[in-house]
Amino acid sequence: MSVETSSEQAVRGAIQMHSKRVWRFGLALSGASDVADDLLQSTCLRALERHHQVTSFERLDSWLITICRSIWLNEVRARSVRKAQALSVTPEAELIAAGPDAETNIFAAEVFTQVMQLPEAQRETVMLVFVEGYSYREAAALLEVPIGTIMSRLSNARQKLKTVMQHEAADAVRRSGK
Amino acid sequence: MKFSDETLTAYLEGKLDEAEARAIESAVEADPELEQRLMALDPFAPVVQAVFERVPAETPAVDLPEHVPVAPVRPAGGGLRLLAVAASVAVVAVSATYWAMRPKPLGWAAQAAIYQSLYTPDTIASLDSSPQALDAQFAMAEEQLGRSLNRAALEALPGGELKRAQILSFKGKPLVQVVFADEQGQPFAFCVIRQGEGAPTRELKEAVLSGLATATWARDGYGYMLIGAKDQTDLAGQLDILTTSFPG
Repeated sequence: MSVETSSEQAVRGAIQMHSKRVWRFGLALSGASDVADDLLQSTCLRALERHHQVTSFERLDSWLITICRSIWLNEVRARSVRKAQALSVTPEAELIAAGPDAETNIFAAEVFTQVMQLPEAQRETVMLVFVEGYSYREAAALLEVPIGTIMSRLSNARQKLKTVMQHEAADAVRRSGK
Repeated sequence: MKFSDETLTAYLEGKLDEAEARAIESAVEADPELEQRLMALDPFAPVVQAVFERVPAETPAVDLPEHVPVAPVRPAGGGLRLLAVAASVAVVAVSATYWAMRPKPLGWAAQAAIYQSLYTPDTIASLDSSPQALDAQFAMAEEQLGRSLNRAALEALPGGELKRAQILSFKGKPLVQVVFADEQGQPFAFCVIRQGEGAPTRELKEAVLSGLATATWARDGYGYMLIGAKDQTDLAGQLDILTTSFPG
């Protein structure tokens, strides 16, 4: 019984600790903040229902992400993608909290938009590796693809992100030359 | 096969031809250390991370019931559901194998050094370092950390002009980066992370990380790091003061 209680506590703790991370992953999957809200909520409820399945308290973050992705693929994706096409949803750059100055904010909004315009498979990979810091191997296990696929998705994403990064580099050069 | 940092960087920038790129990718599959090197050199990751770690701005609300009935495995769904359960078990097993083999993740100090290595004099030249701005930044940072940042000591740090205190986070733990300009206008930083009670105490350790001289120590649930402007920076004078001001 005490094992049950502590696994439930561990899951509640993990939800609290990783809710931003799961939300961001939901955003990467769906491209829409309202869907990310729903995905986070469903993921947390599902995780809590299944706390007894937790055997190791390490890597509960990965476990939550796996649950989130399975809910997305099996229950939400079909209707959300239809909705997104109908509304031609654009990425919501206003989600970014204001940074220290206007230039930083403009650059952040450009990076945000570029990432959100990547195809879904590249977006989820970029989110796990670049943002959340999972290794290629861990991302491959989470997304159930070979490591090579992770690396080629990242290469393709870098090609597309290059433009905005180069702008930033050019701006920095211009500023320093003034 | 050994790959130089230059080759790995060229790969990350998409400058290698197909065959060279494939060679690196297949080497990474078998070599977690190479994977870690490659990840640490990736110039895109820290930039994308800096943008997205501020999203969402607030911790999203989750509505959790007090008591949750344990979900029974419902046979009502029939074969498909059981198949799904079997598949998810298989996935967990495969994932567990991957995780058992996973390379050691980068620690907070390595990540902080990578981030700091992207700073240039221009990064800090345009910051608002007015007393009002610093007041607000320090108040927020100290609230996140749950401890004082000894601002007076930081302002008096020899050879440094206080530019900004910024809240970051590493694996859900609040991390504050206080950035300074040295006498040549080069950026250097002092970082504090709240690691939580029971985190191990660590003696002062100096290392060059991401091309910058660094020193780290940890006491009483907090980790500290001084990151110099260059790999050869002499940190001793500042460390004397910081280790006295931040004994824990």
